[in-house]
Amino acid sequence: MIDFDEVTLTYPQAMRPTLDRVSLHVGEGDLCLVVGATGSGKSTVLGAINGLVPHFTGGRLQGSVRVDGRSTAEHRPRNLADVVGYVGQDPLRGFVTDTVEDEIAYGMEQLGIDPVAMRKRVEETLDLMGIADLRRRPLTELSGGQQQRVAIAAVLAAQPKVLVLDEPTSSLDPTAAQDVLAAITTLVHDVGLTVVLAEHRLERVMQAADSVIWVPGDGSVSVGPAASVLAGSTIVPPLSALARVMGWADVPLSVREARRRVQSEGRRPVPPAEPVPAAGEVVLSARRLSVRYGDVHAVRSVDLDLRAGTVATLMGRNGAGKSSLLWALQGALSCEGDLLVAGRDPRGLTATHARRVVTLVPQTAADLLYLPTVAAECAQADLESGAEPGTAATLLAELGSYLPGERDPRDLSEGQRLALVLAIQLTASPPVVLLDEPTRGLDYQTKADLQRIVTRIAATGAAVLISTHDVEFAAGVSDRTILMADGEIVAQGTTRSLLTSSVAYAPQMAKVFAPLPFLTAADVSAGLS
Amino acid sequence: MAAEGTVPLNSLHPWAWWCWAIGLGFAASGTTNPLLLTLIALAAISVVMLRRTKAPWARSVGMYLALAGFVLVSRLFFQVLIGSGSGPTVLFTLPELPLPDWAAGIRLGGPVSAEALMATVYDALRLAVMLLCVGAANALANPRQALRSVPAALYEASVAVVIALSVAPQLIESVQRVRKARRLRGDTARGVNALGAIALPVLSDAIDRSLSLAAGMDARGFARTNGLPVRGALPVMLGSVMVATCGVFLLLSTSATVAALAIMGLGIAGTTAGLRLAGRRLRVTRYRRHPWGWHESGVAASGVLAGLIVGVVGGLDPVAMMTPTYPLTWPELSPAMLVTIALAILPLAFTARPRPIPLDSSRHDAPQRTVRPRDAELVRP
Amino acid sequence: MNAAPRLGGRVSWALLVALGMSLTAFTWPLFLSPTSAMSPAQAPLVFALVLPLVLAIVLAEMAGGRMEVKQLAMLGVLAAVGTILRPLSAGTAGFELVFFLMILAGRVFGPAFGFALGAITMFTSGLLTSGVGPWLPYQMLAAGFVGLFAGWLPRASGRTEIVLLAGYGVISAFAYGWLMDFSFWPFALSGDTQLSFDPAIGALANLHRFVLFNLATSMGWNAGRALTNAVVILVLGTPLLRLFRRTARRAVFSPAESSLDGILPATPRLG
Repeated sequence: MIDFDEVTLTYPQAMRPTLDRVSLHVGEGDLCLVVGATGSGKSTVLGAINGLVPHFTGGRLQGSVRVDGRSTAEHRPRNLADVVGYVGQDPLRGFVTDTVEDEIAYGMEQLGIDPVAMRKRVEETLDLMGIADLRRRPLTELSGGQQQRVAIAAVLAAQPKVLVLDEPTSSLDPTAAQDVLAAITTLVHDVGLTVVLAEHRLERVMQAADSVIWVPGDGSVSVGPAASVLAGSTIVPPLSALARVMGWADVPLSVREARRRVQSEGRRPVPPAEPVPAAGEVVLSARRLSVRYGDVHAVRSVDLDLRAGTVATLMGRNGAGKSSLLWALQGALSCEGDLLVAGRDPRGLTATHARRVVTLVPQTAADLLYLPTVAAECAQADLESGAEPGTAATLLAELGSYLPGERDPRDLSEGQRLALVLAIQLTASPPVVLLDEPTRGLDYQTKADLQRIVTRIAATGAAVLISTHDVEFAAGVSDRTILMADGEIVAQGTTRSLLTSSVAYAPQMAKVFAPLPFLTAADVSAGLS
Repeated sequence: MAAEGTVPLNSLHPWAWWCWAIGLGFAASGTTNPLLLTLIALAAISVVMLRRTKAPWARSVGMYLALAGFVLVSRLFFQVLIGSGSGPTVLFTLPELPLPDWAAGIRLGGPVSAEALMATVYDALRLAVMLLCVGAANALANPRQALRSVPAALYEASVAVVIALSVAPQLIESVQRVRKARRLRGDTARGVNALGAIALPVLSDAIDRSLSLAAGMDARGFARTNGLPVRGALPVMLGSVMVATCGVFLLLSTSATVAALAIMGLGIAGTTAGLRLAGRRLRVTRYRRHPWGWHESGVAASGVLAGLIVGVVGGLDPVAMMTPTYPLTWPELSPAMLVTIALAILPLAFTARPRPIPLDSSRHDAPQRTVRPRDAELVRP
Repeated sequence: MNAAPRLGGRVSWALLVALGMSLTAFTWPLFLSPTSAMSPAQAPLVFALVLPLVLAIVLAEMAGGRMEVKQLAMLGVLAAVGTILRPLSAGTAGFELVFFLMILAGRVFGPAFGFALGAITMFTSGLLTSGVGPWLPYQMLAAGFVGLFAGWLPRASGRTEIVLLAGYGVISAFAYGWLMDFSFWPFALSGDTQLSFDPAIGALANLHRFVLFNLATSMGWNAGRALTNAVVILVLGTPLLRLFRRTARRAVFSPAESSLDGILPATPRLG
């Protein structure tokens, strides 16, 4: 169905080709996963399938890409619209119209499909994706998962043979992501579509994949069955890490498979000891904290203590009140109740002083950046924090990402931008650091870097509170976990006791070794030696 | 914003409302009879009140009422201040203040007569009622559906408008988010610099958004069925529009009304034909195009007829539609005027009261999304 | 070095005609005859029937089949920005935030884009604020010309460019204000006051009256608009121009860079 023949792609002003003599084949009806770090060329592979690369992005393509017999050299993306459906990361950004029905019809209108046939196809597509009840809804009012399903429906209506999805779940919470991925696997199994899918959180989809394309970032790609390609790649989902620790040649693709292998081998790692509760002093204490928007109670009477030198994660569904709680703790959102951070109430402080006591990195970190260069942002941060000139730049270097000062912050990758914002916010050296969903859209490598950074911040004596949907990240980074639902804290305790005993929030290692309390592959490794 | 997309297709075609309103506006522009004007305004307002939906644009009629009131008051103010109209019935006299020569010898103040005031009121009332007719169309016609039925030649431009309408609410959310984020950085920027701190992140976000939107549109086949521009369409259009403008020019600068109207009509017809011709290069189809039925024809015809009656009667006898102010007389309603008013209210017979549409959101965090922390809720240091 | 992309032949023709038509439309009080069947209150309405056709021709010619999808998307998004800026600033003594965007975008993306952005921003804003009426075609054309002429400004770079654009911002603000005020002056004040439009007294006398009336009533608004333009361009001009130029480069608006070893014919340049 999809054939790359000796494809070399060079972007304008690039030193070396992003893809170098790449040949690959994806068969009809396959579910093919594309994996690789951010910036490795994953999106290039996806975009080349329908000709967005190079027609839309610019660049020079040598060799040939054929889809269903049509070459992208002769067909522009719009002329492949009836063969390849392309769905991007953030569905809301790709919507042209504003209601579900219009959006689904839009592609067909472009293809000049007869209005009678169009009407029928819209109905069929609505049913296929299970969104018939949403048909007249404004797109902005849908939840993230629904929006992504509408985006998929909108390209499916043109009846393509191939569906290309570029990280469709990166901005979704776990339930919505599950929802979308289930819809995609249904399309492969029941409709017979060929699907090419780039996905960061491999643990959810690798069991359904027929093949994996690994894009390491040096211009080459390797293609093959999931189990063997993952074993050799630098992309390490938890089960891959387990396979390495246990010395298995190929990666188990599901928890069930891993559990059986562990049981049949009979190797029992020693469960880690329960950690000693952190003894640092309480730097943030909130009592009966409530946030209200009109009639809605976003946060209801929350009691919370954060201790110096510890990392806590805040988990819960979308809309559970996590963000509101973080904004309230920073003092940027009006709230009722008592709040003391390092002996002061941030609500009573000026913005400049508040950020020296407690700092927050918001969900869309880029909102904080407005200057033309990294150096200018750092200098401004020093000024705002009253710190020695150069503090922010030094911090940025310490965080482990070297960024040339003259780079435009808007050209940075997601991970680099996060590091820059963290450096800016840490310049004020606050005793409490709050991070709102920092792991959104990050690949495994960047998440590991972030984990290192967070551990280092805690080591300097600060208290860190992170809201996240990423169970594996929480398992790796935090000492304590707080679970929120409906604006209330429903459970809190050590991460190990809380996550291993949970059904919804258990990390994969916990599921493999249940009832033993393992959280990460590192725990298993320690338990084996 | 939220209710816009949920309006079902069984509403009346938006152009029908516009035809009705333009016709009424034209009728209003041809008369100074305060009775007729008031009745036209009442007719328009009652049609709006009985036929409008709960959509956001339906509230615009209040704004237009206020605007009409403002027109009346400001006209009266200027008349009293610098009016030169003299009449036998002097109501009161203001102290006079002559201005220097360069000001064309204008004097402020002076005697204010009832005749001059009434003339101003009639004239301002005419303008106010025309404004109200425009307001009625704005309140009744669904702007998005009007966009769906633009000529094919304008397809690309209409896509840009559709994009703008869909993106605007998202950008407002983006502005609110960035303003909130300012506090986190210490909020040191003030005044115009603060504008930059908000404008730059929002704009660069908007531009990124436009690129991903363009990629999506391209991948979904946008512009795929565009052919090359049709030969000859442009000269036809440009020629005709020049003819139409000449017609308007003649209409305004000479008294050859009929000939001028004919030339103008010819030009408009030619341009429309040219646009149709130019639209042939496009083979885009439309999903659920709004049908034009007899309801629509009826509503449109009632407005157009009302305008025609006033135009024709006024053309045959220039004073028939005017109320003299010198000497002051009580305005009277002629049979033609009664017919006009009946036509103005006729759309009520062709249309039904709109059904309320249940609105609910399926985002479980919808309440928070819509009442996201706004400025007022931010703690100000 | 920094000059905007140029226009193609067909669009130039359409624009030339539009320019002529609009001048007639905006200056109608100069030639309205007292013997005409149209009253001063009706004249702008008659033009409001013809001007949408002029706009339709120009926009169809500019966007139709010529504009790359990236430019169209950019046009829509920038129009959305303008649309939310306009009510934000309207009513506060001419503090209008909508024009600087058209000027800067016209400068970077060219006169055709500038015209389309001006016209479409006004249109969208009219739709969203229920401000559709006979004045809308006038506003669309006037704003379109603000963007158009910004694309025709001479080459300049650095500080000179910013000063040039700010100066243009002042001039265009007054030009926009005067054109709009002049064409709706007989609406704003008719009857028999000493500053009213009166077809019987001739063009020059009317112009004199208009200048006085405008100085007395709208000067503050026009000056406020001019000041806003100048200040915003002086402060935000450099970073915004950089942002737009960076986008113009990144979006590969000139298709020369995207070629498949010469297999693809170069796509026609915009407008």
